[in-house]
Amino acid sequence: MATLHRLTLTAALAATTIIAGAPALAQDDSVLVGHLADYTGATSFVGKQYGPGVADAFKEINADGGIDGTMVELDTVDYAYKVPEAIAQFKKWVGNDMVALQGWGTADTEALISFVARAEIPTISGSYSAHLTDPQGKNANTKAPAPFNFFYGPSYSDACRALVQWAAEDAKEKGTENPTFVHTGDNHPYPNAPKEACASYAEELGFTVAQPVVVPLAPGDFKAQCLTIKDSGAQYVYMGNLGGSVVSLIKSCNTVGVEATYMGNPWAGDYQTVEAAEAQNLIFPSSTPFYGADVPGMGLVKKILENGGGQVGDRPTHHYLRGICSAYYMKEAMQWAKANGGITGKNIRDGMYQKTDWVPEGLEGVCSPSTWTPEDHRGLLRVTINSGSFTDGKAVIKEIAEIDVPRREEWLGQ
Amino acid sequence: MAHVPNPRPTGDFRATYAADRTLFRTRNETMAVLAGVVLVALCPLVFGGYVLSQLILIGIYGIAALGLNVLTGMTGQISLGHGAFFGFGAFASAWISGNGIPVLIAIPLAGLMTMAVGMIFGIPAARLKGLYLAIATLASQYILQDFFARADWFTGGTYGSLAETASVFGFQLNNDARYLYLVLFWVVVAFVAVANLARTRDGRALVAVRDHYLSAEIMGINLTRYRILSFGISSFFAGIGGALYGHYLGFVSAEGFTIILSIEFLAMIIIGGLGSVSGSLLGAAFILLLPQAMEVFANGVATVVPAIAQGTAYIKQMSVGAAIILFLVLEPEGLVHRWRMTRASWKLFPFSH
Repeated sequence: MATLHRLTLTAALAATTIIAGAPALAQDDSVLVGHLADYTGATSFVGKQYGPGVADAFKEINADGGIDGTMVELDTVDYAYKVPEAIAQFKKWVGNDMVALQGWGTADTEALISFVARAEIPTISGSYSAHLTDPQGKNANTKAPAPFNFFYGPSYSDACRALVQWAAEDAKEKGTENPTFVHTGDNHPYPNAPKEACASYAEELGFTVAQPVVVPLAPGDFKAQCLTIKDSGAQYVYMGNLGGSVVSLIKSCNTVGVEATYMGNPWAGDYQTVEAAEAQNLIFPSSTPFYGADVPGMGLVKKILENGGGQVGDRPTHHYLRGICSAYYMKEAMQWAKANGGITGKNIRDGMYQKTDWVPEGLEGVCSPSTWTPEDHRGLLRVTINSGSFTDGKAVIKEIAEIDVPRREEWLGQ
Repeated sequence: MAHVPNPRPTGDFRATYAADRTLFRTRNETMAVLAGVVLVALCPLVFGGYVLSQLILIGIYGIAALGLNVLTGMTGQISLGHGAFFGFGAFASAWISGNGIPVLIAIPLAGLMTMAVGMIFGIPAARLKGLYLAIATLASQYILQDFFARADWFTGGTYGSLAETASVFGFQLNNDARYLYLVLFWVVVAFVAVANLARTRDGRALVAVRDHYLSAEIMGINLTRYRILSFGISSFFAGIGGALYGHYLGFVSAEGFTIILSIEFLAMIIIGGLGSVSGSLLGAAFILLLPQAMEVFANGVATVVPAIAQGTAYIKQMSVGAAIILFLVLEPEGLVHRWRMTRASWKLFPFSH
């Protein structure tokens, strides 16, 4: 009898443990987030800043308790900016039940549009191609709707429109009549993304738009291209490339004697580029303050950097901060998903739509208020414009304008 | 006397016509090949995604390497544009299937289209030899690469193009296990075809062109015709391989088909064995698996010597290069030769020479 009693007790205990243990087990679980980074490829100059931003941010998120208890297993893969590698890696991750993707380049992100839509994997990319902003294909000119693609910051097209708008005012101030605008960049999806959109807005604002000049993404001697730019008589040169290519272009054009204002895309300008190019008045957009700025959220950024992998040294560029923002928007969307039916791709996507003028908690002043809706993935339309100059051996960067790009219907996805 | 890679060994006589007609040398060899095909066909029951994806890629690259082996190993022509032909096949198949033609038909059609392109780019071979031909084919690599980046209607330009999923009467070949059978089918077709080609009148003509073009011409072989034909056959298999690759990934991007790929194909056939049919597959397996084996090796070294943990990526890359150099120095006749030596030592044991 005593034995039987003990047996019942044991069984009851076991049952209690199992029932009580189930939620405890669920607390310990983790979700896989894929992370495509470029540390060795053509865009590694900024990839080595943005990638660690994402990775260090998720490290901090996990240290702070994850997604309300669920750990994020971030698998960072250096795909060297090669599309086939990215696709092969994506397929592998989908086989391992990935719930979300932190992407990188334009070529691979655009190649993956239909893949992420089919597999329902929300993607926050380092590509700001405007082709990713039309989730339902509402604009008749959109080639393919991108329902699962997001990014933090103004699109390449909107950033370029803001630059052109600034250039129009600058030309008026300087008294330049009928200024000329020229697009430079490689024949590659990333520099090409804003090419037509930006040129047509420049024309609308009264610019003469010169024939685009193809400049390779890999650094080199670009004097031939610079002679073409000089012949076009352009006063405003938009640069669709980044890093070494931008440095080479500015140096080559200075040799040739081009007198123009250089305007970069969101990846083309930072203190390292200004210093390497010894540039004067390099105009570039940004969507976060620079590291060390006096804003409330900088404390968290410093903490993330201190506890991080140490890949960016102690003075990261603003690309690192954008990586952090990308990670924290995803984190809060995952939190919403967890509270509303579980961390699945579709729920995370819906989580991105829950807030307006959204700033992730703890990053006030770092990430600008952004709003994504089911019809419009242009999260941020405010563009900060900076001017960087190389003076006394170091880069001096000044904010010169803040431009709100209008949310025009016909610009959705373009 | 020119060097003849992988000749038939001394003492290997064929006394009857029937013996001369067999595809494989011995009965055991026939059985072994059949068993190999059956084993690969059974793999999806045992292995997971990783092994299957490796088998698929070995098959795909093996088919393309086989094509290059017809050109380089059998006919003695060099091509530095094989990767671009591989890419052309991928884009062609994506384009054909995008226009409503089933993928299974699009793949051989893409092979034929690539064959036509290959024959056009093979025309310089009528006049050029050796290094000069190498440079001429290098040009075809760059011309095609530029075409991929610009021909929006055909390739989607720099954005690339989507390749449909293959399906058989509505049954989607949408995972590795299913796709493996499609690749296996083409591997068998391609390798049997080339093994047979070597024994035909045309195949012997190709070998004659390689061994001594002047003698071949005196014997009445039309050099121009056979050199261009060789480019055609080689590109056909490159196209088939490329088409299979495109539909496997689901997306074709101009970035994937650079000169590096062309050189990898050359490395595959040199390491596998020039002129050897089975060597093409061995070489493809070697080149694909070596970096992964070296990764395991480098990580293993890093666990023993933690100080070099930061440098595993470099160690991996350098070991791949070192392994290839060692291979070429120690085994210039390729993996196939090594295999024959091993087999000979078993057969002659304990009296191996």
